[in-house]
Amino acid sequence: MKKISVDHLARVEGNGGISATIDGKSITDVKFSIYEGPRLIEKLTLGRTPEEDVSITPRICAICTLSHKNAVLRAMENALDVKVPQKVYLLRELMHMGEMIESHSLHVYYLALPDYVGFPNAIAMASKFDLEVKIALEMKHFGNHIMKILSGRYIHGENPVIGGFGEYPSVEELKFIKGRAIQFMPFVHKTVNLFCTLDYPDNPEDDTLYACCEPGNNEYGFWGDEILLSTGKKFPRDDYKSLTNEFIVPHSYAKRSRYQGKPYSVGALARVNCLGERLTGEAGDMYKKYFNNRWKTNPLFHNAAQALEILYSFERIPVLVDEILKITGNPEIVEYKIKDGKGTGLVEAPRGLLIHHYAIKDGLVSHSDIITPTAQNAEDIERYCFIAAQKLLDEGHEDKIRDRMELVVRAFDPCISCSAHMAEIRHAPQDDWKARLDQIRNDQDPVYVGIGDRDLSDDGTGIKLAQMLKDAGIPDVYFEKEIEANDKIMEDFKGRPFIFLDALNHKQNPGKIILLPLDLILNNTTLSHRIFPLISEMMNYGQIQNSYILGIQPESVKSGEEISSSVYTAIEKIYKHIKN
Amino acid sequence: MKKDKLKIGIYELTGCAGDALLILDCEKELIDIFNAVDIQSFLMANSANIDGELDVALVEGSVTTEREIEEVKDIRKRAKVVVAIGLCATAGGIQARFTDPDEWEKNLKEVYGDVKMNHTKAVQSKPIDAYIDVDFYLPGCPISKEQFLHLFTRIVKGAPPEHYPQPVCVTCKFNGNDCLLNRGILCLGPVTEDGCGSICPNYNLPCVGCWGPLKEANRRSEYYLLKEKGFDIEEIEKKMANYSGTKLADFFNQIKKEKR
Repeated sequence: MKKISVDHLARVEGNGGISATIDGKSITDVKFSIYEGPRLIEKLTLGRTPEEDVSITPRICAICTLSHKNAVLRAMENALDVKVPQKVYLLRELMHMGEMIESHSLHVYYLALPDYVGFPNAIAMASKFDLEVKIALEMKHFGNHIMKILSGRYIHGENPVIGGFGEYPSVEELKFIKGRAIQFMPFVHKTVNLFCTLDYPDNPEDDTLYACCEPGNNEYGFWGDEILLSTGKKFPRDDYKSLTNEFIVPHSYAKRSRYQGKPYSVGALARVNCLGERLTGEAGDMYKKYFNNRWKTNPLFHNAAQALEILYSFERIPVLVDEILKITGNPEIVEYKIKDGKGTGLVEAPRGLLIHHYAIKDGLVSHSDIITPTAQNAEDIERYCFIAAQKLLDEGHEDKIRDRMELVVRAFDPCISCSAHMAEIRHAPQDDWKARLDQIRNDQDPVYVGIGDRDLSDDGTGIKLAQMLKDAGIPDVYFEKEIEANDKIMEDFKGRPFIFLDALNHKQNPGKIILLPLDLILNNTTLSHRIFPLISEMMNYGQIQNSYILGIQPESVKSGEEISSSVYTAIEKIYKHIKN
Repeated sequence: MKKDKLKIGIYELTGCAGDALLILDCEKELIDIFNAVDIQSFLMANSANIDGELDVALVEGSVTTEREIEEVKDIRKRAKVVVAIGLCATAGGIQARFTDPDEWEKNLKEVYGDVKMNHTKAVQSKPIDAYIDVDFYLPGCPISKEQFLHLFTRIVKGAPPEHYPQPVCVTCKFNGNDCLLNRGILCLGPVTEDGCGSICPNYNLPCVGCWGPLKEANRRSEYYLLKEKGFDIEEIEKKMANYSGTKLADFFNQIKKEKR
């Protein structure tokens, strides 16, 4: 999925692709926005023949066009019970290696590397890394060449069809591909060494869940019929929704995914984490040499994982070509009868797990579902950017937030057009909570919950404020203990925003008010609060997403602190604002 | 010398970014391209972009949000010459299949439900000439390297680029392919813009129409010929609409009237 020129849009609306809002010493908002308009691709595929959709859906993305092609072919062939001959299978894999090399080499050398060696872009980098820049371009060209030979052209090739290929490559062409792949090996080694030893910053680091295709046979690979999680759990391909659970956020036309309410990552790093142990040959040696625990928690190692996969692909090409050449003759396109059915195709695009699912009825596609890697990564991109930004802010390096967020987003390799320049930092205006609270109230009436009064470990701000609102006759105001005693309340207000009122230590002057999405609190290492894990366990992700904390900085965090005059002024401020 | 170089901007609206990517895929010519002109804005390749007066703007993608309407109008204001590159910009692309605005509206609702989008409002996907005057068109999904370099060189040399007023069939015949229509396969070659090198028929596959509808084509006559040949009329209409249906809205209305 492509994103439009964010830099350009920044000048139109003053808001980039990833933005962070700073209020005092807290990050109050992180948004990874996709301004690309809706294309309704899934809808376009309806009422079309399976063959037409094989041609249409790869147009989703020019960069991953052949991943989409392989995914739609696998899905349609599963739906129509088409079994392709071994030669077709191998040629499709070879085609996929071309895309991996093309996409990964473009990303690591042209988009990622300049950041780490201190140049603004690849062209400027050429002054010091002349050889690298030139050979990387050759490597990308080689990937493109494989794609062109097998699919018919660089982008949106039509040669791969259901049941086979329209035309097969000649023996000479295949031998040329094999020879070229071997020639590149010294440079490929250099690539792995370079990207596995770059000095990756240790922020952000945090555990996440990784997901990829299970290639089967205890092998590494780029497709499969099951989804594998880093926990070892597996889903059959048709159960992909158990992983993805798509939902919509108002700041993007791309849908989001979470597994059991938590963000997860897909892509090269996910594959290396889930399947790395299975790498053999030189890629296996390099994996053993470089893989360590940081790869499990630091998204910046996406770059290292991509380099490792470049090596894997280059090693795989000669093997594939030899296998293909053993099979003489070119199989005809498999004949098939159109029938009713459903099929899912799982493929690892360069950026991660790609899912195509179709239902066919009366010869036409009646249902379709396409889930792209960047859509799945979006939630983790936001989470890691938040962690990085908050940590830098805590350390007093506000000036570094913008660059670091760009580094994180770029590591996920979302799509090249959005990787160019995209981060924006915004300082919240004074009393930002007012405007944001009004926005929430405009959409729907919130439910207020006063937090506290458990073990008197804070000044009781939340309870005091809730009591005042109750007394003033504001509807739907509760105390924390009422919610805990009766979880039906939560159920009754399903779909309504929840606003928790509490004393919140955000390292500001006493009485300073802040409004934070609950989601950020749960991710926050410095602001975590004893209560919220309890309540959040009662909520599903949809509710968490629609919940906020309206906090006041207490005089101190001592146990049993009384409400000071500055905190009291703040309580009155909020009370008056809500009442009016 | 630098002063004399043409100021060029390359812009992407909604699409797959394939046309901008194809420009980057001109690996061997890329350095020359960047040297021949003064590239002011090219987001896919460059991060320091300037939004000023331009000699030529190359615009990829279709217009699908209100923000993009403003953007494309702004580009028109700043550029002396506007070239639509790629099928999405020239004809609306695959996302412009819905010819009926109500059908589009219904589908949008089905996908996004009632979630209030707070960044920009979606509009039905249209080619850029629905909002601004376009000087030259370079169709293709994605554009071909040869056609792009040809257009680009002519622009750099101050000559107007040429339009290719012929269907895919012309190149297909030069390539000596056996006509797929004669073999009873529904091929859109006769009504599709030329420029791909008849790649699909070369591979024994029917033309899907991805260069978009050829303006000069006698579409009506083709439609009835295909019907005579025994193809299902619904299938003909759907195939024709797959790549840029909105551009053919008038044609389909005319056919509808004739059917009655």
